[in-house]
Amino acid sequence: GVLAHLERLEAQARESALKQEEKEQQEQKLAGLKARVQELRARRDELRAKLERQQKGILEKEGVETDAEQPSARAVLEWKIRSMKDLLQLFYLTGISGKLTKRGVCFCISTAYEGTYLHSYYLDVLTKPEVQIQRHSVPTFIPLEQIARKHLQTDIRRFLAVLSDHLNAYAGRRYQADQLQERFSDRLEGTLQRNSLCNLLVFHYNISGHSRSFLFSAKLLYSDLCCSLPTEAIVSCTPNAPGELAEMAAAHSETFRRLALHKAFDSFSKAEVTQD
Amino acid sequence: MDEVVAEYIRRTVLKIPRDEILAVLRQWGFLSDTQLGAINLRQTKESISQEVVQLCEENSADLKQAAILDIIYNNIYPNKRMWSVYQMKKTGEETDLFDFSNFKKKFKGRLQSALKNVTISFREYEDNAIWIRIAWGTPYTKPNQYKTSYVVYHSQTPYVFISVSVLKSNLPLLCQALVVASNYHDIREMELRSHCLNSLKDIVFKRYSQNFQTHYPKQQKNVPTENVDVRIIQEDKSEKERIQRVNQEVFGDGPQPKLEFAQYKLETMFKSDPNMDVLERREPFRCLVKFSSPDLLESLKSLAPAGMADAPLSPLLTCIPQKARNYFKIRERKDVLPGSFVSP
Repeated sequence: GVLAHLERLEAQARESALKQEEKEQQEQKLAGLKARVQELRARRDELRAKLERQQKGILEKEGVETDAEQPSARAVLEWKIRSMKDLLQLFYLTGISGKLTKRGVCFCISTAYEGTYLHSYYLDVLTKPEVQIQRHSVPTFIPLEQIARKHLQTDIRRFLAVLSDHLNAYAGRRYQADQLQERFSDRLEGTLQRNSLCNLLVFHYNISGHSRSFLFSAKLLYSDLCCSLPTEAIVSCTPNAPGELAEMAAAHSETFRRLALHKAFDSFSKAEVTQD
Repeated sequence: MDEVVAEYIRRTVLKIPRDEILAVLRQWGFLSDTQLGAINLRQTKESISQEVVQLCEENSADLKQAAILDIIYNNIYPNKRMWSVYQMKKTGEETDLFDFSNFKKKFKGRLQSALKNVTISFREYEDNAIWIRIAWGTPYTKPNQYKTSYVVYHSQTPYVFISVSVLKSNLPLLCQALVVASNYHDIREMELRSHCLNSLKDIVFKRYSQNFQTHYPKQQKNVPTENVDVRIIQEDKSEKERIQRVNQEVFGDGPQPKLEFAQYKLETMFKSDPNMDVLERREPFRCLVKFSSPDLLESLKSLAPAGMADAPLSPLLTCIPQKARNYFKIRERKDVLPGSFVSP
């Protein structure tokens, strides 16, 4: 009907408009290129003339200008922007960075563990009428209110440092637990029991030696929330196991307290290999 | 196998959509793979449920197993229930080494010492969520498996998500058991309710996208350039851009948590022309304003770009995720009572 006809006309009009636009763009491009060609030709002629003049042994005073190119204002600005970006990138990589906002500062705390960059957390801090946190993206199980109560009003640097310690330690603990589940799932019996802060881990793992495999159970407690190594490691084996296993359990307990979780398991694998 | 258990399992399976039945049963892990393979999925759901009950009979399913199946069902389809958020408070500052087995023991102990006839089941999930199912009885009757409450708790957080369908009288008991088991001192209900459990979690755990200003630019999203006809000029282009910018500052970039309503209870004075003198007594004009939507925050976000409201929107609407509440009481400006939001 009429509407369909109108639609068709509209589509046609749109098509022809697009084609026209394309054509115009191409013409513009062409004109631009032509202008550039002129520019380059002029430059070439200029250089040719200069060369001739030099060969004739006459140095133009203006030649000095074209020889030592003064860095243009634009180039200086670009360099400034680049070095500023690098500086900001550097601050970001150190873990704590901030940006001034209308009413205060927005801090960004980035976490990392052993060279792997992990999650970033943000805090919007107001500076007037008093220093307070307006909003944040810190997980609820991190004792933010506690840390803020102690340090925010008195020493904001200390506050950020303590909070960064908590967040980095948490990120480290979680990373270790994830690594254990990913890389050593064949050693684990049953599930790895953890909690939100990853500061209590309970798991069972097997160690093979003398062509038998033995089951150990481990309970790791991280009472220091700023630490990514356990404060206590309770390792036990089945009650009717040979006596040397008790020694091994004690050794493992010590290893867990000393090394990161996945590194501890790496060392167990190495010990097994050397044994056989 | 107990008749009650059999019927309960049958009814739970009936609730599951046909295509998902195998997946749910697999997660349950009670029936073997061969048994699951034997189920004929092309028959009616009634027949499927009967067949499942038959297989459970072979494995001698008990109440415990049936309760777990119910938890799994509710965990996969949580949006069928209405969830409220509760906040716990603790005064001590010791590091909490949350132990799941300890928590279970304390919770069960506390609840059962007050009310013997309850069925309590726990299930822990990968994201540190603990699901608790409680079937309530009375001091004189056995627990009714169809009168259940569900609790979702993430360890070492002060927030608990509770879905109480019936028997609100048992709520204080439940709250007390939670407080004792999680080493807190006090619990109160927040003014935050929704069917979408994950969105409630997003709001209180601050997992939704907030727009933080940083120097370090996040990946710039490429705005797709449409095939715009150059002859069409947008008269209010700068205004549109302003609205987009303000919207982004307020709502952030990502998807909004899903809430179904926001309720504002007004207890403000009716302000009219003194000559009209509508109300002889100077009493607050009581009024309830309720906004409903399948996805309230998204629709608020699209109000300004659609031209239906001015940007920036009223802070009463935009503060919802940050204040973690969707029930408000608005009183006169001179009242500064805790728990009430003062209208600007």
